Amino acid sequence: MTKIFNPLGRTMQRRDFLKVAGASVAVAALPAAARGADPVKLLVWSWLPDFQTQIDMFNAAHPGIQVKLVNAGQGAPEYQAVRAGLKAGSGLPDVVHIEFQFLESFRQIDAFADIGQWANPHKAEFPEGTWTQVAKGNVVGGMPWDSGPMAMLYRKDIFDKHGITPPATWAEFADAAKKLHAADPNVFLTDALLSNGGWVNGLLWPMGWKPIRRDGDKLAININDKISKDFAAYWQDLITAGVIETKPGFNNEWYTGLDSGRYATWLTAGWGPVFLTSVAKTSVGQWRAADLPQWDASKFATGNWGGSALAVMKATQHLPEAAELAIWLTTNPEATKLYTTKQFLFPCTTALLTSAEFAGQKMDFYGGQAVNKVFAKSAAAVSNFEWSPFQDFLYQSMEDEFGASIGGKGTLSDAFDRIQDAVVTYAREQGFTVD
Amino acid sequence: MTATTDIATFEAAKRRPGERRRSRIILTLLLSLFLIYSFVPLVYLVLSATKTNGDLFTTFGFGFGTEFNLWQNLSDLLARDNGIFMRWMFNSVLYSTVAGLGAAIFATAAGYAFAKFKFVGRNLLFALVLGAVMIPQTALVVPIFLLLALSGLSDNPLGVILPSMISPIGVYLMCVYIEQGVDDELLDAARIDGAGEFVIFRAIVLRLVAPGMVTVALLSFVGTWNNYFLPLIVLRSQEYQPITVGLATWYQLAQQGGGGGEVLFSIIITGALVGIIPVIVVFLLLQRFWQGGLTAGAVK
Amino acid sequence: MAMSNSPAAATRPARSGGFTSRKLAPYLFLAPFVLLFIAFIVAPLVYAFYMSLYRDTLVGGRQFAGAASYIKVMGDTKFWGGVWNLVLFGIVQMPIMLSLALLFAIVLDRGQVYAKGVFRLGFFLPYAVPSVIATIIWGYLYGPTFGPFTQMAKAFNLPPPDFLSPGAMIFSLANIVTWEYVGYNMVIYYAALKAIPSDLAEAARVDGASAWQFARLIQLPLLWPAILITIIFSINGTLQLFNEPYLMRALARNTINSSYTPNLYAYSLATSNQQYGYAAAVSFVLGIVIAGASYIFTLITNRRRPEQ
Repeated sequence: MTKIFNPLGRTMQRRDFLKVAGASVAVAALPAAARGADPVKLLVWSWLPDFQTQIDMFNAAHPGIQVKLVNAGQGAPEYQAVRAGLKAGSGLPDVVHIEFQFLESFRQIDAFADIGQWANPHKAEFPEGTWTQVAKGNVVGGMPWDSGPMAMLYRKDIFDKHGITPPATWAEFADAAKKLHAADPNVFLTDALLSNGGWVNGLLWPMGWKPIRRDGDKLAININDKISKDFAAYWQDLITAGVIETKPGFNNEWYTGLDSGRYATWLTAGWGPVFLTSVAKTSVGQWRAADLPQWDASKFATGNWGGSALAVMKATQHLPEAAELAIWLTTNPEATKLYTTKQFLFPCTTALLTSAEFAGQKMDFYGGQAVNKVFAKSAAAVSNFEWSPFQDFLYQSMEDEFGASIGGKGTLSDAFDRIQDAVVTYAREQGFTVD
Repeated sequence: MTATTDIATFEAAKRRPGERRRSRIILTLLLSLFLIYSFVPLVYLVLSATKTNGDLFTTFGFGFGTEFNLWQNLSDLLARDNGIFMRWMFNSVLYSTVAGLGAAIFATAAGYAFAKFKFVGRNLLFALVLGAVMIPQTALVVPIFLLLALSGLSDNPLGVILPSMISPIGVYLMCVYIEQGVDDELLDAARIDGAGEFVIFRAIVLRLVAPGMVTVALLSFVGTWNNYFLPLIVLRSQEYQPITVGLATWYQLAQQGGGGGEVLFSIIITGALVGIIPVIVVFLLLQRFWQGGLTAGAVK
Repeated sequence: MAMSNSPAAATRPARSGGFTSRKLAPYLFLAPFVLLFIAFIVAPLVYAFYMSLYRDTLVGGRQFAGAASYIKVMGDTKFWGGVWNLVLFGIVQMPIMLSLALLFAIVLDRGQVYAKGVFRLGFFLPYAVPSVIATIIWGYLYGPTFGPFTQMAKAFNLPPPDFLSPGAMIFSLANIVTWEYVGYNMVIYYAALKAIPSDLAEAARVDGASAWQFARLIQLPLLWPAILITIIFSINGTLQLFNEPYLMRALARNTINSSYTPNLYAYSLATSNQQYGYAAAVSFVLGIVIAGASYIFTLITNRRRPEQ
């Protein structure tokens, strides 16, 4: 049964190997172990569409390494598979695609190898906020691949019609929301994606929210602090006034809402502009990008929503090669550029973020605006953020409790209190010491 | 003579033709209402498969889009990820066919044992088999994965096919079916004639219970075709996955923006439509076996 | 007589080892099913039970916890809240689904309608739609802002229905499940009807029974085991509801939380919470609840079983 399904015949591999072994140019660059012997086989898990293109480029450049790509599911299903593999002690890839916010959760269960000795020389190629996502001091679990610096996409046509200028501060944003909805009851300034933990987190980030700080097995949990209460009060005011919506995002109702002009803005991240082009059709040319509204107009602050890394699993039998794979795929100029044109990832490397080709690219969908420039500015300003060692649980609690609030169970502020209680209880159950 | 014709004769004798036609029309109308209910979502599916991604979100669901995009959607579907969709279709057909046949044969054999033999532990075993359906799937799938990993069967299609061959409802159905449809005297007569147990099973039982077996095969086929949770956990490699897992993987790309998110709704909807076709074909092929009811009238 | 169909009947000498093989036969017939059953149901179950006696923690790893998880489930309001949701669901959905399926099976079996084949296929077809797709489709139809029902309501100046509100969600889910499974249950009844020996219809005719009397007095009692088993299966399917609410969450995250149904709860415990032992314990208690509900139901209905 397995034989029928095996796509890589043995002979095929050997022929490939002989063919590339002839090209002696690249051989010197190879790790010693790979030279002369059978090629090292590496397995990488990723859900990135068309990723095989870059994998083929890597294989061509590394005759001693044969990489196989498997799509083990997007996000949660893949993490589930990684955890199951860790429990079973088998069936794990060498390199794995993991979103930034879950790296710490996998570090907690000791999933990653340290590739610091190979990765640290590349530190300067990334903005500091991005690098701290994958590195803890000199210990590096993986390489940053794409990121999601936040900014605002808005409908110029709707703004113009109602005489609204893009709000620079949250106070202006609230005024605009009230003004817009009063002018047209079928239009809302935005749909607050409160049932999306990453969105809420991304907006709390620039406010300096530090929900969980960690010192060994000791945790300081401050989820319902002054910052989150301010955040809750702000959005609660808009919800009570009925001038924004709080529907879940990323479903057809929401896509239609964005395209049909029900929502005049989308507070989104670097991957948003291209994502939007695939769902919006009638609003082509009407969208523009602007900075995220600010709490303090004199200090530009921003957050990150989404983004991911290629991490190297501790279970790998070929650490140097796996590290080379992760590093090459995230730093090679050709491969990284291709992500922005073929797969539309928002890049991590400073070189790309500042390049004329990427940042200066004018898109018709955005009326010829170079929207990437707005997000690139945000990328450079994103500060460090400390993720919890059980981010899935935190997000799930946030999503459950905000949902309950919207459904009528207390205010958003009450929701933060309930999340605090749930997380403290959970952390203690998991063996952490909570102050 | 079959059960259906018998009842038909029986009905004919009871009623006058005019009355019969009237009740026929009323019943047909009544059932048509439910048929509309069954078809409404399917109509949406068919119409959606003809639309572009943009039209899908902006035009009315029960109308056509601004352009007829079905052929483009189909070619996009077949081209996506180097044509992996046809591979998923092949996998689904293979897993469902093998699981459906296996489930029917094993359930018939087991049902026959329960229906026509007395043996130690019969009632207990029967209760256990039926009780098994009460075990929540979540309780089984993760342990199944871990046990498969231990036995080297993880990421192996057998890990999906073999569990799918277990059909407690199949065993139950076949047991009831054989109890009612296979006459004890017939079996005893065969034994007196000197037929071995396996021969009796193959030559008499299997022939008599064909409609029941078809039902079990059909339900298991469709059940395996629709199964999502088990292949999701057991299979890693995309080239082993069935269409449910494959389409869900594409669907999830739209759920989350970061890390290469992409909205592929028109392809997914088209894939779903194509994915129903084999089930319809199987249903049409198998339903012939029901027409005659119990075969050959051998029961009498 | 069908005996002539058996080629062996003519060749085999009488009583050749018939006695011993008859004693062995049931075990041989059962063997393939039972082997799979042990490998893929009993063994994982034992393993899951073993897991439920341990507690996995992020700090300190795995520790023996004994019955602690089970005691915790007993007082877990999230778990029992989910069970309660589904009890409401089942009370509404099961009678509707099963009586429709029964009606259709009897009508189609009698052939008392035009275009029998169209109905048989048409009713069965929704079962061919994977629940992933079915939920996406119904999710669109339910859309509170842009769905077709809302658009129709707006066209007539009526208040648009909100199928996704906390109060309506359970019925919206019930509708999806009904749509998916009426055909499935119909096929089971249909097969059972086909197993009713045809001479019964003849006997009923001679006795002068009407079609309704025949259905009530002959078919229903003979169908009773099949009806009972579909009820038990439905109780079981209801309390294990997972796919539909899991996928409907994308549209209604504010209504469907991570413990909306017990299986959803067990799933989030095992995935985002990484509490494998507790998830296993929740699943076991759910299994006991299901078994209890099925048993009580069997007791009640057996007392009212229609007489043959």
